Amino acid sequence: MSADFDAIVVGSGPAGVSAAFPLVQAGLKILLVDGGREMQVKPPSKPYLVSRAEDENQWEWMVGRDYYSLRNINTVSPKLRVPTLSYVFEGFEAANRINAHDFIAIGSLARGGLSSAWGCGIARLSPEELNDFPFSPSEILTSYETVSRRIGLSGALKDDLSEYFGIDEWADPPIPIDDLRSRILHRYEKRKADVTPLGFKLGRSRIAVLSQDRAERKACDTSGNCMWGCHRRALYTAAEDLELLKKFSNFTYRSGFVVDELDCAGALRAVRGSDMSGNQTISASKIILAAGTLATTRLALQALNLNKPISMHACPIAAFMLWLPKALGSARPPAFGLGQLSFALKLEHGVAGFGSLFNTTGIPSAEFVRHMPLSKRYGIDFLKALLSSCVVGNLFLPGKLSTSMLSLRTDGSLHVEGGFRKEVPELMHLAEQRLRKVFWKLGAVLLPMSFTVGKPGGDIHYTCSLPMRARPDYGETDAFGELFGLDDIYVVDGASLSDHSEKSHTLTIMANADRIGRKISYDYKDAKCNIV
Amino acid sequence: MRLLVTGATGYIGERLVRHALSQGHEIIAASRRRPNEDIEWIPFDLSAASEIILPEGIDSVFHLAATTISHDIDPDIEMEAAKHLIKAAVQANAKIIFISSQTARKDAPTVYGRTKWQIEKLVLAAAGLVVRPGQVYGGPERALFGELLRSVRRLPVIPAFLPAPKVQPVHIDDLIVALLHCAESNSIPSSILHIGATQPVSFTKFLRTISIVRVRGYRPPIPLPIALVRFAGLISGKRLRITLGIDRLSSLSDLPTMQTDHDLQLLGVTLRPLSSGMTRSGNERRRILIREGQALLQYVLKVRPTPALIRRYVRSIELIRDGESLNLPEFLLVAPMAIALLDHTPAQSTSYEEEFTWRLNTAVVLAEASVQGAKRFLGIGEYNGFVICLGRMTRAVILELCWRILRLIACPFWGILFRNSRLSK
Repeated sequence: MSADFDAIVVGSGPAGVSAAFPLVQAGLKILLVDGGREMQVKPPSKPYLVSRAEDENQWEWMVGRDYYSLRNINTVSPKLRVPTLSYVFEGFEAANRINAHDFIAIGSLARGGLSSAWGCGIARLSPEELNDFPFSPSEILTSYETVSRRIGLSGALKDDLSEYFGIDEWADPPIPIDDLRSRILHRYEKRKADVTPLGFKLGRSRIAVLSQDRAERKACDTSGNCMWGCHRRALYTAAEDLELLKKFSNFTYRSGFVVDELDCAGALRAVRGSDMSGNQTISASKIILAAGTLATTRLALQALNLNKPISMHACPIAAFMLWLPKALGSARPPAFGLGQLSFALKLEHGVAGFGSLFNTTGIPSAEFVRHMPLSKRYGIDFLKALLSSCVVGNLFLPGKLSTSMLSLRTDGSLHVEGGFRKEVPELMHLAEQRLRKVFWKLGAVLLPMSFTVGKPGGDIHYTCSLPMRARPDYGETDAFGELFGLDDIYVVDGASLSDHSEKSHTLTIMANADRIGRKISYDYKDAKCNIV
Repeated sequence: MRLLVTGATGYIGERLVRHALSQGHEIIAASRRRPNEDIEWIPFDLSAASEIILPEGIDSVFHLAATTISHDIDPDIEMEAAKHLIKAAVQANAKIIFISSQTARKDAPTVYGRTKWQIEKLVLAAAGLVVRPGQVYGGPERALFGELLRSVRRLPVIPAFLPAPKVQPVHIDDLIVALLHCAESNSIPSSILHIGATQPVSFTKFLRTISIVRVRGYRPPIPLPIALVRFAGLISGKRLRITLGIDRLSSLSDLPTMQTDHDLQLLGVTLRPLSSGMTRSGNERRRILIREGQALLQYVLKVRPTPALIRRYVRSIELIRDGESLNLPEFLLVAPMAIALLDHTPAQSTSYEEEFTWRLNTAVVLAEASVQGAKRFLGIGEYNGFVICLGRMTRAVILELCWRILRLIACPFWGILFRNSRLSK
């Protein structure tokens, strides 16, 4: 019996497409399956402020004809209330049999996975940060470059974070900065000597957003629709790569096929799943799991029949608001809605934080009004005057501060138990104090009561549940993401990272997936040569 | 139960059939034309009375068929038809329920009333039930209700008859509940049951309610002596009399008041208020919800919300919440600004307060997602300087403080202010 495919990639997110490229280019017969959900609600076609001022039907993309944003009013992030993004998150938990306690479990059945709604933050891990990875830093360098050049990055600029991000050689210049953030940056340049002793470094954000046109994708024009859907396709999503992959004749894409379990009984590997046409089993020589950390972990544990709880990394996250008194009364210009400035912040015991600063314009005011200690009517008055001089920020701490555990239940579902290490509140408190001090020196007030620590899982950065180890054990993977105890099953998404620093991890996942993809294609070529 | 309904395609009949079906009853329609519903049907024509054989296993027979236009009524034929029906019902051991009229009297001024009275006697003799409804209204625009509605819509004024006739309105759906109860219950003795508002209302008020609640336009009442109407009826001829419904109107003028409380209690029916029943949906829920949405949105927006925005609010409450209004006190609906009294986050929220907060947040989200909201929340196109913004923020804080003080002052009177709202429960 021969396999239907050389390899099956499960998931069309950043990891899945990145692993698929080297395989497809090497001539392997590849099948990629995913949940296949697509955008249902049309995003605004004009710049955000124009749409808001003119579009009589703006509620359709702001609230949703089915009142999507009201139904999800209690979810953790404004992103989870955006009707145009509903397709990204809906149905994941049920389809992948995930149930969570004290943890916000988020995944995606969308074409392009969670990258369809991401913040586009990217960074390269330094050699020190790659210490826990069972391979030499040089081994992943080519992959970092390949992926960076493929997806299109911007933000390259000689500044204090050039080294921190480490991707400038492959990136375009940054997107134009807006007035508020440029004030902060100027002030930082002047008063660097005051804030760097506090362990604070500031620079432009490095992001997977185009600042220069690239074929069909157009450069960002700061129209401010980042959260609602960019009709210029300036923001990278893995769906862009999927389109490139589809051009290869040895690549097959099957949309709407959710893998329910792996079949590893025989000599071949197979995925069992279902789509509109019913249940089906598809076989291959190798299976590459890229379904997102939670879904991938469930499939792996189920295939291993491993019932012991395993740990998972998730970043503690906080959000805060800054006010620039001197900018009070400034107009609301159209602006880029994702990170424009980023900062790295050193804390105690070698722990560091990473965060970005955002423009508030593209976020509905209702999100802020709800948390104001004023009544709605006067809260709106207050914010209308205040918000144009405000900056929203977030802060990520390293994923290892999480105590979240995953365990496979006898019914085949995956239970997530969330939690943070006990020093997290202390660290967050320290971070708040430091940031307050730093930004005060930079002419911005960290608004009282605005610093809010998120619940476990709210970061949606889940990793390291099946970490790559030099000497793996059950529930771990080898240096190339191959599952210990089950040959030919590879884990290429966040689940197989060996460590998770505070930095944005998507680019590393993609580079690692590319690295593993290359390795599999070399093996394939070797095997072919041997036969010949 | 298996129920036979004559006049199943009429104003009351059609609604009765639909409701009974939804309650799981089996219906056999007896009418001139086939009913819209896909149900068993036997032809039945009042004017061609003949022997009837009821289908097997009928539990009750509703006799609703009647000729309502006085000069078309041939009392003998109608009596004949009733006799045949009653005979068949008795033979089949089925209960007969006859829908009569408030005008039924031996010496009624109309043939219609006199005929009804005679049939009543036959029904009672056969141990059946007689139901005398008051002024039936609501539901589809048919029968007398439909005529009145159309007249009010058409006329710039409403007639205020002198002396004012009194009617005892009953919403069609309430009547139907009562009728079905008659069929379902075995404990109701053979008698005449009166179904209508316990307190009669003047016919003028009835018409005014139609104009304000249903037609949604004010029609000034013009005094009109009954004698004049009768005279007009005499000279206007048949066609015009029918169009204007003068015959029926004149029969209203000397209605005896019915004692209805006992029968309503016996049938376990509570009649809805006239203003509620007169709305298109048959109850006021939506109208109250609209007012609530308008008030909350206006509180948020500081200007009158567009009808589209209010509709969205109402839909969201109906789709996501229980669809019931919060029953905010009248003064908040009239002066939405005062909603600030309720708009705070108490240390411990009751479920009402949580619901209120949810709805207020809903109003904020919906209000923002509109062109009106973009102006209010973002101030697009407004000139904003440092001083103006600082002034606005200070003003907002001062106003907030004022309302907080007012809230403290109002605290002792909370019970009185909110006595009718869900808050007091």
